[in-house]
Amino acid sequence: MDLNFLFVSALNGVIYGAFLLLTSLGLSLVFGLGRVVNFAHGALYAIGGYALLDLMRRAGFGYWPALVVAPLLVVPVAIVMERLTIFPIRRRPEIYTLLVTFGVSFMIIGAIEYLWGTGTSLIQTPAPFGGTMSVLGNQYPRYRLVAAALSLLVSAGVFAFVQLTPIGLRIRAITDDADMAEALGIDTKWLLSLVFGGAGGLAAFAGALGAPIFAVQPEMGTGILLDSFLAVILGGLGNLPGSAAGAFIVAMTKSIGGGYIADWSIALLFVVVGVVLVFRPTGILGRGRVA
Amino acid sequence: MARVVVTQDRGAPRARLGWGRPALPLAGALLLVVFPFLGAGTFTTTLLTEALIYAIWAMSLDLLVGFTGLVTFGHAAGFGLATYAAGWFAREVAPELPLVFVVSQSVVAAVALVTGFVATRVSGVAFAIISLAICQVLFQIAVGWRAVTEGMDGLVGVPLPRLFGRTIVPGVEFYLLTVTLLIAVYVGLRWLVDTPFGRTLQAIRTNEQRAAAIGINVRLHKWLAFVISWFVAGLAGTLFVFMKAGTTPMVLHWSESGNVLAMTIFGGLGTLIGPIVGAIGFVFLRDEFTTHFRAWQFAFGLVFVLVVILFPSGLAGLASRFWSRP
Repeated sequence: MDLNFLFVSALNGVIYGAFLLLTSLGLSLVFGLGRVVNFAHGALYAIGGYALLDLMRRAGFGYWPALVVAPLLVVPVAIVMERLTIFPIRRRPEIYTLLVTFGVSFMIIGAIEYLWGTGTSLIQTPAPFGGTMSVLGNQYPRYRLVAAALSLLVSAGVFAFVQLTPIGLRIRAITDDADMAEALGIDTKWLLSLVFGGAGGLAAFAGALGAPIFAVQPEMGTGILLDSFLAVILGGLGNLPGSAAGAFIVAMTKSIGGGYIADWSIALLFVVVGVVLVFRPTGILGRGRVA
Repeated sequence: MARVVVTQDRGAPRARLGWGRPALPLAGALLLVVFPFLGAGTFTTTLLTEALIYAIWAMSLDLLVGFTGLVTFGHAAGFGLATYAAGWFAREVAPELPLVFVVSQSVVAAVALVTGFVATRVSGVAFAIISLAICQVLFQIAVGWRAVTEGMDGLVGVPLPRLFGRTIVPGVEFYLLTVTLLIAVYVGLRWLVDTPFGRTLQAIRTNEQRAAAIGINVRLHKWLAFVISWFVAGLAGTLFVFMKAGTTPMVLHWSESGNVLAMTIFGGLGTLIGPIVGAIGFVFLRDEFTTHFRAWQFAFGLVFVLVVILFPSGLAGLASRFWSRP
């Protein structure tokens, strides 16, 4: 029985880890590319949830079409945000990007509360994945498994994009050495806007995909933002495989810890992060650079 | 790009105001002391008390951000922790002010020693996030440890503080207590930043690698700065819990860390006058706006963004640009 409890906790961890993977990949990409630390990533995640909500309730979309359209609506929002707030401070130390996006996240959450109110909205589990299914004798919500599979699929797509396409090659070149990449004729400014938009879209997709599980409310992005940041720091800033590893470490710690010690699991998470940072300040897969 | 060693000042842009001209702080202190006797109402005095408590808090943040170059997104931690430690002790044991301070400051210092040891392993962005994580841990504990913190309801019914056998009543008396502590903290920090220790912190802010290269124990100094900063924030938190007669987990919410960061940046990083001006401005503006204006949070974020982009040295920087051109 105890082992079974552990199994369900671990399964919850995998589901949450799949979501964290989506959000931390976006964070990590943008950081690697432009040394931009996007605190508003969680707010973009929340916009994704609200865009889905409005598409479904006001525009009459079904869940699945809305899931596709909502992230596409957030991409231009993210690009405009990058142009207006990140671009003017691109020559300053990276900590300024964190400060500016911190302000932006206040703006977005404030705007959400102004436009949609502070309440929590629930979204029904979309057909045909309602109800539960049996996983090793446990009744488990079917949609969670589907959502996790979808986020893993999209994450794999992001990895493939970065590793296999010509644009991905440029992204990797800039991450490796931005000055050299620029000297070779790669337009870093244009690419940063593009990737920023893409990362915003990913966050919004995660928000929309998670809406039936975690509900929609103005602060929905705060917790996942912090966890994604921890994942990215654990894995080594700007390192995609590291972020992936970090995402699952954070999710597993929270979920398995949460199964046994409830509210104290976040303290356990801090202990894990602390131990890693004390022994490896550059993160698990980071190479020599203390961020 | 990351490998380039930057030799110029990478730290917060620093405005020069307040040092080398003691007349200004002295006049300010005098004005603060006599303020409640100039015919200000109870409401204004109370609001100013809150502002000055925030000012102590903002100065403690400035020691980390402005002088050591460690931007933190979790500075509500030391402040909020002190509200709980002081509030609980005052209610359950005794509201004797010196005793309360000893207890709350010991708790804050102990937690800061442990968490600071971990947080100061990293700097820059990672430090900002780790400090936020520490604050979130405390927030969760404040919500979850119901036996002591009473969960989301918060700790209520904290009695009035007593000092040398007499009760300090709200209003002018409590205001004067706050002003006294504010001046003491200002003088103390003013002294600290010009000691060799303080100079070392500023060397670390200017260039961490260089500081390490000339033999400074960077990690130790960052750790100490972290602990001192939390300690001073704890003083403010202890006053705050008496002023509000209670506390809730919301004092540990991340937006509070954002508020204190905003006050400090608006006022001017790397000055000690700046955070005081920033805190007073913040509290009165917030009071003005939240009563008439629903989109306060949006407006606050917008101003925050504009200030960081356009005036990163804050009000003090603007002032010094106009008044003391070299």
